[in-house]
Amino acid sequence: MGRLDFSTTESARLLLLAVFGVLALSVVLAEQEGENLSGLSNNPDKAIFAVRENGTTCLMVEFAVRFLVPYDVLALNGIDLITEQAAFTLPRGAEIEGTCGSTESEIQISWKNNAYTLRIYFSKELREKDIEIWKISKVQFVYDSSETSHFINAYNPGKHTASTHHLSALVTPAGQSYVCAAQQTLTLISSDHQKGITVSMYDVQIQPFDIASDFMFSEAYKCITDQRERLEETLPLILSFILALIIVITVVVYHFHLKLTAVQPVLPRDRSMYKNM
Amino acid sequence: GMFVLGLPYAILHGGYLGLFLIIFAAVVCCYTGKILIACLYEEDEDGRLVRVRESYVDIANACCAPRFPTLGGHIVNVAQIIELVMTCILYVVVSGNLMYNSFPTMPISQKSWAILATVALLPCAFLKSLKAVSKFSLLCTMAHFVINVLVIAYCLSRARDWAWDKVKFYIDVKKFPISIGIIVFSYTSQIFLPSMEGSMSKPSDFHCMMNWTHIAACILKGLFALVAYLTWADATKEVITDNLPSTIRAVVNIFLVAKALLSYPLPFFAAVEVFEKSFFQDGGRATFPDCYGGDGRIKPWGLALRCTLVVFTLLMAVFVPHFALLMGLTGSLTGAGLCFLLPSLFHLRLLWRKLLWHQVFFDVAIFVIGGICSISGFIHSMEGLIEAFKYNIEE
Repeated sequence: MGRLDFSTTESARLLLLAVFGVLALSVVLAEQEGENLSGLSNNPDKAIFAVRENGTTCLMVEFAVRFLVPYDVLALNGIDLITEQAAFTLPRGAEIEGTCGSTESEIQISWKNNAYTLRIYFSKELREKDIEIWKISKVQFVYDSSETSHFINAYNPGKHTASTHHLSALVTPAGQSYVCAAQQTLTLISSDHQKGITVSMYDVQIQPFDIASDFMFSEAYKCITDQRERLEETLPLILSFILALIIVITVVVYHFHLKLTAVQPVLPRDRSMYKNM
Repeated sequence: GMFVLGLPYAILHGGYLGLFLIIFAAVVCCYTGKILIACLYEEDEDGRLVRVRESYVDIANACCAPRFPTLGGHIVNVAQIIELVMTCILYVVVSGNLMYNSFPTMPISQKSWAILATVALLPCAFLKSLKAVSKFSLLCTMAHFVINVLVIAYCLSRARDWAWDKVKFYIDVKKFPISIGIIVFSYTSQIFLPSMEGSMSKPSDFHCMMNWTHIAACILKGLFALVAYLTWADATKEVITDNLPSTIRAVVNIFLVAKALLSYPLPFFAAVEVFEKSFFQDGGRATFPDCYGGDGRIKPWGLALRCTLVVFTLLMAVFVPHFALLMGLTGSLTGAGLCFLLPSLFHLRLLWRKLLWHQVFFDVAIFVIGGICSISGFIHSMEGLIEAFKYNIEE
């Protein structure tokens, strides 16, 4: 019975706590801001985005992305539906938001007044043998097929969402950034009749956790395709060197072979043959 | 020989007209081969035919005889060398490409496979006579036979699904010139005919041999193209073996690589002979000293020159982009020239007085058709090359 009795000091304390909580929350939220640094990249299709928190970068993403979105268009006969493909790239001037956490991060990139929104979710986990890795756990793309610059005469215009199922991509050791110049493709299933959206990324450098210093990527971890490319570049040089060596050795051996087996003109020693000449 | 695999694709774009063209091209090439060999002979006083000329170069020289005694020979030499060297380079490119597509998981790029193929082809520098080359050609033909049997066996096993109604009567005007190119250049053999006829034990059998070989080639190619097209209809790819399921495709690819490598010695040997005849022999009349020593064996620096030619084909194969289009370009000039234009021209020039009216008509018709094919192929290849370079620059 006494517990139900709130004293004024108690309520004042609660009120103060609530106010401070809201203030703190807004400070925290305001501290996580998205920055668009695409002007720094030399590739016109490549975008650079950073999410900063508490005055330091906590998530940096650098990539060039191409989307291939199939959508339905009414055929000339007015009855059949034809599937057309819309192809476009992620623009450099997109708006970005993001949240960083210790094991989960997310980045949200939107453009054309939120007609298109790309959300990438990262997660960090501990694999066996005490190896910690981070990876992309989910990619979600929201697009509006009534947006006329990329979708021409779409049959059922409206917002559709495409997501991945059971994704585990870009697996990188924790504390390192993922680098891949080669193209990587993800397929997302859309809510528009289960169509497949293709998202292709190239010239990628991403780090969602443990960024040591402001706007600086940590040590790079190269994808397998890039690692193989270096081998593929040096192999022809080695092989052509071996080829030249084989040719030189063959010609020299042949030269000496000719010298050693030169046929001397044989004079008949048996003079009894002379009477037949 | 490799072009047979592109014939179903030609039927895809040409329909029944493509089939007709296969037969027509066989007839025309048989005829031009025969008139080319007829140019080698002249009637003597008794009315019998005597073989006065030895090679294509001799025929060309005789045609331009009064004013430019060596111009014709030079033109034919240059055309022959270009055609033969491009064929050699094509085989290197094809074997590199095939190996790369067969083993995509290995870190060896197409360039590295081309270098490995060249290492395997280096012994070609030691070739001395047509006999050794003919052994390689025999092995090559056997490999080709196995490939054809495999493809046709697979097609027959899917005989229930043949799309008879998909063979078209109309022509796709933009894509048909490709078909013409593929079909026509699968019959080109005129470069080798003079020396082949010269080494025949019974030259009188030549006409018979030409007829039978062209009929056989025509029937086999026509059937192969039709059967393969009916199996895959619209999905037919440029090289028919790409349509096969991956298990058979791996086996067929290995045979294709073997075939490409075994096909290399013939044009290589022919190119070496053309080089040596024009530059290195003729006992002192030539520009460079003799390649061969006193006992008939090649001198070491001659061997080095042959190795240089092999390496040159490798360098061209590796560094020239869009080789297929370039090949189409040179093929439409030199190939059409050597197969259609020049034989009819020489026949008209040398044997003008003895020709009957229908022969003159055929020669002129072949010249005109060959000219049209050549020009259209040239324009199409140039367009393709320009587009390819623009696309490359834009990327």
